[in-house]
Amino acid sequence: MGYVKEERPMTIGVEGTWNIGSYHYKGSRLIEEYVKGLKQKKLIGSFCPGCGKVIVPPRNLCGRCHRIMDRRKIVSNMGTITCFIVSPPIEKGKLKVLGMDPVETGLIKEGEVVIPVFVKFDGSDSNTDTILLNADPKAVHIGMRVKVLWVKEPQGALSDFEGVEPV
Amino acid sequence: MRRNVAIIGCGQTKHSSKRRDVNLAEMVSEAVYNALEDAQVSPRDVDAFVVGNMQGFGGIAQPEQWLGDSIGAPGKSVIRIATGGTTGGSVGQGAYYTVASGLHDVAVAVAWEKHSDSKEAGATTGLLHVGLGNFFHAASYGLSLKNLVATSAVGAAAGVAVYQAMFYMYRSGCSIEHFDMVAAKARRNAAKNKYAHLQWPGCTQEDIAKTEMVVYPFRYGHICPASDGASAIVVAEENLARKKARQPAWFKGLAAYSDEENQLQSENFGGVGVLDPSEQKGCWMSATKAYEMAGIKDPKKEIDIAEVYQPFPSQELIFAERLGLFDEGTAWMALEKGETDIDGRMPLDPSGGVNATNAIGSTALQRILECALQIMGKAEEHQVPRKVHNAVAHGWGGVTSYITVTVLGDSPGR
Ligand SMILES: [Zn+2]
Repeated sequence: MGYVKEERPMTIGVEGTWNIGSYHYKGSRLIEEYVKGLKQKKLIGSFCPGCGKVIVPPRNLCGRCHRIMDRRKIVSNMGTITCFIVSPPIEKGKLKVLGMDPVETGLIKEGEVVIPVFVKFDGSDSNTDTILLNADPKAVHIGMRVKVLWVKEPQGALSDFEGVEPV
Repeated sequence: MRRNVAIIGCGQTKHSSKRRDVNLAEMVSEAVYNALEDAQVSPRDVDAFVVGNMQGFGGIAQPEQWLGDSIGAPGKSVIRIATGGTTGGSVGQGAYYTVASGLHDVAVAVAWEKHSDSKEAGATTGLLHVGLGNFFHAASYGLSLKNLVATSAVGAAAGVAVYQAMFYMYRSGCSIEHFDMVAAKARRNAAKNKYAHLQWPGCTQEDIAKTEMVVYPFRYGHICPASDGASAIVVAEENLARKKARQPAWFKGLAAYSDEENQLQSENFGGVGVLDPSEQKGCWMSATKAYEMAGIKDPKKEIDIAEVYQPFPSQELIFAERLGLFDEGTAWMALEKGETDIDGRMPLDPSGGVNATNAIGSTALQRILECALQIMGKAEEHQVPRKVHNAVAHGWGGVTSYITVTVLGDSPGR
């Protein structure tokens, strides 16, 4: 292999972009049902006739018993934190999401601590991942009781559900 | 009837964040030729290649079509396998099947990653499974941007493993200091492994504790590097193995099980039904099956070392328990007592593991390779100070649910 390496001792940088263009995806109607529920400040889950699990947001198939989860159940707006992680204070220039700086665009305040959490809503058997708002980062713990923080006027969008806050 | 199969040669490249001195084909062939030389096998004697890396990483969709010529694959059987983080484990197991089935007598398994060739590590096409369609679908239903920032940027900065770590801490009672200990051990062990990436002789728990918090409970010092590198093994049927190697590393048992997606969102923004992502049922199932095939009844006593797939230190503890090497929730206590050190009762990742060297597609094959080195007595400075009869190699990946477990031994076991 030596001869090739000697001929070209280093790789060279080549500038270029890779546009993957548009995308076809068989989106499910479940998400539509779910956001309709959000508009009425209701959390809809799917019920598994095999093992009785309720999953929020709803899904088509039960992962363990492979049954079609064709029944719905409304679960409570209250739940328990099963897991959390804590970001350091986020500063401008530290994070990039989809090419934008979330501090610069105002999504996150300068110095804000973001706390992603898993919540098991009462009546469900799943973790829903969201964020904990209006909470002291030092006080957050597993088992903490929380409730959904809704936007003032729900539109029937995923963003109606802003996150959860301590009860 | 399956045949007995052994590893008779191992080859790696030096790992670093940028292997600018080689292109992909040169880098992969470096590992292949090192393995062939170690096995004392000529390229002509190889019947089949099983190859693999992460899908789309380095910006290349079909790397096997590029590098085939360089590794001597033309005219031979070639299969490429890509199973996410477990790729290397599946590649190694694929070579086993090729030979154990009687299809071929000598196979080379080679796996690699060359992150540095692409500015963006390939996550767009490689890491997003159903994710891309899922994401745009959810976006059309008004996905909250703040939520997106939290889950994809804050969380993913430390990988999906950060949630796993939190669950494990809660149910086992271990603390962030134990993660510091594992990471320090990985860097110390890596310093004894000439192929490893993050080498830090004498690294202490305190050294790691001084590094910046990325997202609690992970510090910068806990997180694996992105490495360029490749690893290869030569796999042969029994007669040839006995002729070529003084001490072959025999495949005794293997398995690969998956579980349902157990982190963040499932398809169409759906929730997930696994309440504890550190449960890792697929690993427990794989280990049970592989031990059964290997005739191992008590892994705590019969396994001498383990190479656990641990890009994050918490995973060494979680998976060592799932591999049956420690009782539930106790691996961190064994760590405290030094039992998992190179000279301990149950050395975990004497090579430094994934935490010190992470060429993703290659990492799970490296676990098998490192176990083989320990059995063959060829691990040089990181050789454990006692005879290794049985070793277990683990791979984790495919979001969070695909697992490979491979048990190697100093005798075929049947
Ligand atoms: Zn079910």
